[in-house]
Amino acid sequence: MELFDFYRKDRWPHVFCPGCGNGTVMNCFYRAFNDLGLPLDRTAFVGGIGCSSRIPLYINSDALHTTHGRAIAFATGLKLASPELKVVVFTGDGDLGAIGGNHFINGCRRNLDMTVICINNNIYGMTGGQASITTPHDFLSTTTPSGNKEYPFDLAEIAVAAGANYVARWTTRQVHELTKSIKTALQKKGFAFVEIVSQCPINFGRRNKMPDPTQLLDWFKESSVRRDKARTAAVDHVDLNLAGQITVGEFVDRNRESYEELIGVVKHG
Amino acid sequence: MKPVVDPKLCKGCNICVYICPKKCYSRGTDISDIGYFDAIVDAHEKCYNHNRSGKLLCELCILSCPDQAISWHPETEEEQSR
Repeated sequence: MELFDFYRKDRWPHVFCPGCGNGTVMNCFYRAFNDLGLPLDRTAFVGGIGCSSRIPLYINSDALHTTHGRAIAFATGLKLASPELKVVVFTGDGDLGAIGGNHFINGCRRNLDMTVICINNNIYGMTGGQASITTPHDFLSTTTPSGNKEYPFDLAEIAVAAGANYVARWTTRQVHELTKSIKTALQKKGFAFVEIVSQCPINFGRRNKMPDPTQLLDWFKESSVRRDKARTAAVDHVDLNLAGQITVGEFVDRNRESYEELIGVVKHG
Repeated sequence: MKPVVDPKLCKGCNICVYICPKKCYSRGTDISDIGYFDAIVDAHEKCYNHNRSGKLLCELCILSCPDQAISWHPETEEEQSR
């Protein structure tokens, strides 16, 4: 399958700003999906509200564009009604962690068979740069003009604690590793969660002295620490300050029983 | 194989200029039809995939391009001999 058979060529160029990381994730997702050879007509994509949740609308397949924060709730219903479908959720940090935080935690706990790809750009990019739950400490945004006094959520660690089967985090600088992780997540039975720390040059970088997307990518490269290496270097604790360190890597890979197996859902069709 | 930038899709973010390990790209100087300074492939003979037709090696630019503007094209015989 060519790239523009997977995506809707008539919708191009897409609406994302120049240098936005969503396009990078689209490339990596296409590569992983294509390498696995999954059927596009047996896959459903779900998105909430936000920049990253627009990605399902560009894919040449059935997509569900839902209310703010409820992407996982809709995906749960979709998966239980049609268990033969593969369900992929594209979502952002505000959509998944802030407004839909409870759905996210309970989705991980229920361990339903779906793949969740969260593009964490550290800000509410679409609505004009308000501070979100993942804005790093002391970083500027529209609503925190003197620096963010709160500490950010660590979405990957929450997913591990809540019981997801596969959890990984990468940045848009590590494209090959990210492609490999998405591939593993698509094959995984149960709740697979991939968090991608992505750049938002317009609303996040511009207010934090990094207006060029390459400066943000440089920052990701400098501050990324592999989780397996971090453990040996005795910095195993989760550094909640993204300005200090972004822990990347595979967080967990396990085989808990999924919800469908527990309640005995019968596939039809 | 050589990378080619599509002027209809490129938005001039210059991520390819930053990310290419072999410095095949340079910043654009002319405005394209849709109003951006497109990146230029000015040294494709430095690319890892120069004179390779089968397996592609690096592909950082293709995977990183946020606008899906870069694609592989076969080289002409004159370009291969460079």
